Amino acid sequence: MLTRLVGGRVIDPGNGRDAVRDVFIRDGRIVDARPGVTADETYNVSNKIVMAGGIDIHSHIAGNNETMGRLLLPEQRYPSEFPHPGHYPQPRGAWNTFETGCLYAAMGFTTVVEPAVLPHHALQAHLELADIPIIDKATLTVLGNDDFLLDLLHRREGANAIRGYVAWTLASSRGLGIKVINAGGAAAFKDNVRTFALDDEVPGYGVSSRAIVKALQLAVHELQLPHPLHVHCNNLGIPGNVETALATIAAAEGLPLHLAHLQFYGYGKEGPRGFSSGGARLAEAVNAAKSVTVDVGQVMFGQTVTISCDVLRQFNARNGARPKKWMIYDGDSNGAGIVPYDYRVTDFFNAVQWAVGLELFLLTNDPWRVFFTTDHPNGAPFTAYPEIIALLMDRDLRAEWMSRLPKEALAVTTLASITREHTLTDIAIMTRAAPAKLLGLKDRGHLGAGALADIAVYEPGDNRTKMFREAALVFKGGQLVVRDGAVLDHPFGRTFRSQPDYERAINARMRDYYEERYGISPDLMTVSDAAIGRPEPFEIVPCLN
Amino acid sequence: MAEAWIRSKSAALDVAIAEAANLLAGSRFPVIAGLGTDVAGARAAVELAQCLGGAIDHMHSEFLLRDLDVMREAGMMVTTPNEARLRADFLLLVGPGLLETWPALPTELFGKRRTVWLCPDTAVKDASAYKNIDVVGDASFDLPVMLAVLRARCAGRPAANAPVAMAAIDALVGELREARFGVAVWSAAQHDRLTIEMLCGLVNDLNQSTRFSGLPLATADNADGVQQVTGWMTGFPLRTGFGRGLPEHDPWRFDASRLIDSGEADCALWISAYGTRPPAWKRGVPLVALTAETGTPRAHVTIAVGRPGIDHNAVEHLPATATLAALSAGKPSTAMSVATVLGRIIAALPAARRC
Repeated sequence: MLTRLVGGRVIDPGNGRDAVRDVFIRDGRIVDARPGVTADETYNVSNKIVMAGGIDIHSHIAGNNETMGRLLLPEQRYPSEFPHPGHYPQPRGAWNTFETGCLYAAMGFTTVVEPAVLPHHALQAHLELADIPIIDKATLTVLGNDDFLLDLLHRREGANAIRGYVAWTLASSRGLGIKVINAGGAAAFKDNVRTFALDDEVPGYGVSSRAIVKALQLAVHELQLPHPLHVHCNNLGIPGNVETALATIAAAEGLPLHLAHLQFYGYGKEGPRGFSSGGARLAEAVNAAKSVTVDVGQVMFGQTVTISCDVLRQFNARNGARPKKWMIYDGDSNGAGIVPYDYRVTDFFNAVQWAVGLELFLLTNDPWRVFFTTDHPNGAPFTAYPEIIALLMDRDLRAEWMSRLPKEALAVTTLASITREHTLTDIAIMTRAAPAKLLGLKDRGHLGAGALADIAVYEPGDNRTKMFREAALVFKGGQLVVRDGAVLDHPFGRTFRSQPDYERAINARMRDYYEERYGISPDLMTVSDAAIGRPEPFEIVPCLN
Repeated sequence: MAEAWIRSKSAALDVAIAEAANLLAGSRFPVIAGLGTDVAGARAAVELAQCLGGAIDHMHSEFLLRDLDVMREAGMMVTTPNEARLRADFLLLVGPGLLETWPALPTELFGKRRTVWLCPDTAVKDASAYKNIDVVGDASFDLPVMLAVLRARCAGRPAANAPVAMAAIDALVGELREARFGVAVWSAAQHDRLTIEMLCGLVNDLNQSTRFSGLPLATADNADGVQQVTGWMTGFPLRTGFGRGLPEHDPWRFDASRLIDSGEADCALWISAYGTRPPAWKRGVPLVALTAETGTPRAHVTIAVGRPGIDHNAVEHLPATATLAALSAGKPSTAMSVATVLGRIIAALPAARRC
């Protein structure tokens, strides 16, 4: 069957195009127009904006930590109204897997990456992802606080052993890429370390945080994984931590490195409260470091909950919980913490955080290297994206927001002086074309022939929030799933994984290690198709080259 | 092989499935209880409850909710049994019932570290068999007061009414503070919420200067695993209802025994795939039972199911790692899984009630 979207303005930066033209879909993929062929189905999208389906590279949507957050905050909801047809049996508005898929789809997003899955939590994460409808998913597997890796580094076993271990872990946990979170920090915290910086060493191993990051960066690069090492730096949230982020950017040393939720590292120590924006300095460093990509982790105001494997940071933050309750977890070779937080318009620090995020968006020159995230739900729930897009595209709207924020907070930022307004093309790059490229998804994020027909159609208007919250039409693999922001159907997508080659000698070694360290077979922690309970739950993304 | 029974008479499986679907679909407000099942069974149970607009509860919800209430009202630091085994240099055992809840506790955790057990000595079986364990408490030992006094002394505050000599308490406080990675172990089945909150508060306070964490022992019948499933599928823990089309969580309202004994629920589906544990409610109610062995009393329809991880592969909560794990069938059989049976019941519902 041939489907034709007629007359829309197609913004497709992946193919360098922005023009009024028709888009054709056959068998779930985009095809070129052929003269004389009549479409079986036609949608008139004239005066509308057509983009590829949105891709979110960093959103905590599944896994033990997310669900512990749900259990900790039964009062938490997705803060967005969302019209469902009445016949859907599933609940509405609750913070659960079904709503996650529907709310992303309604905004025109069709692929989302869960960026922090501990190897022992992979099975649950994939089960949760399997219950998120419509969108495709992927996970990043967390390494960098695990005894096995730290011991490899301690004993200087070399890059080959580390590559084998990284590939084995990816295979077992079915991850697309590797994430490192406050490298060594969770391990150090178990030894009663309370602050941990890039050149601090993990007690007992004599290995620095920097050495862990560099070893993993190299392994990911040499394995040719489709996504570069994804780094959550040390010292998250601490005044003056802009120096940590700058040092980490410098540590990339020309190899690909992705820095997550950079906003949370954009803090100087200037000003009357000893807390100021380092956003401009960070943006300048990002502009200069061409091998580095970043996502923002924008803060928006309202109740949310912070969920992180940076157990050291979460432990230190627990007494500031809003409301006052929290969970701190010393896990197997890892850690995590759940701390609710209410970002307040009247709070000096929260206002600075909000401004830092926007500075990073607006002062980073190359939209191909800056990604659109709130670090859901840490900076804000992902349902805040439409508001953020509106703020980026409209300096008057920003001025209106700033007029409601503490003046002394804005005074330690540069936001008021920034006049840049993002274009729709900038938005399409940050939310479509660039993420697809960064994840190695060649048939996503663009609308060229052969691409998967994941398509979002928006009704342009003065109210950009409404435009991006309620897509006019969304196609997932060619199937119409959303009309006027309402979900019509909820097919289940797949989860992307990578499968790098590695020397199988590591298999026996890991079996011995698990028996000795955990007293169990690693098979118990291994994710398989059969355990997921849906047909063809995974799709392999080829490694680079 | 008999797989199903209607009023204790052997029945064809299809007939029993149809009868179960009719009973459930014909009820005003059914409750799906017991929920002793693996992750796949729990996913199917949530789906069925949504179709029917019923409620879900687990046979051990009461214990789960004690720990959960402390976490969601105050805060909690926890670790895993493995991490405790590898790292703990001090073990604080709190209250009775630990060996009953986790029989592997002595082999996993005893012997290699200083261990103090706060418990009436009359409730500790064979304590003398375990070397290096000091049991603190006589037959009339008041554990909640002991924890309160310990916490007060840890904070440098005066305390009265100590159940043991203050010198012994202060000596223990010294040991707790000097631990490099201490772990406090308890079973929620044995304590009320305030006792657990006091213990978790003590653990938190100790982290002012050293590292300490908590180890709440896992509850039986995969209760911890089922709670994760309802957490991600509904956004809520157990005792959640779908009667108004939305999931709503209320530990009192959706207590299965209360719903049935009060007459609010008019039909029940009881799931007990790990054994034959019977429901605790007292009132007679049309009952569909999915059990690993026959013999649930008063069931209108009984369907035999396999034991997760024994008769069939299963994903369930693994206490050692405190995560979900993929178990291979120990003794594979043709017995059906809970998920399979529930899937067939959902398929047999009238179209208007199907998801």
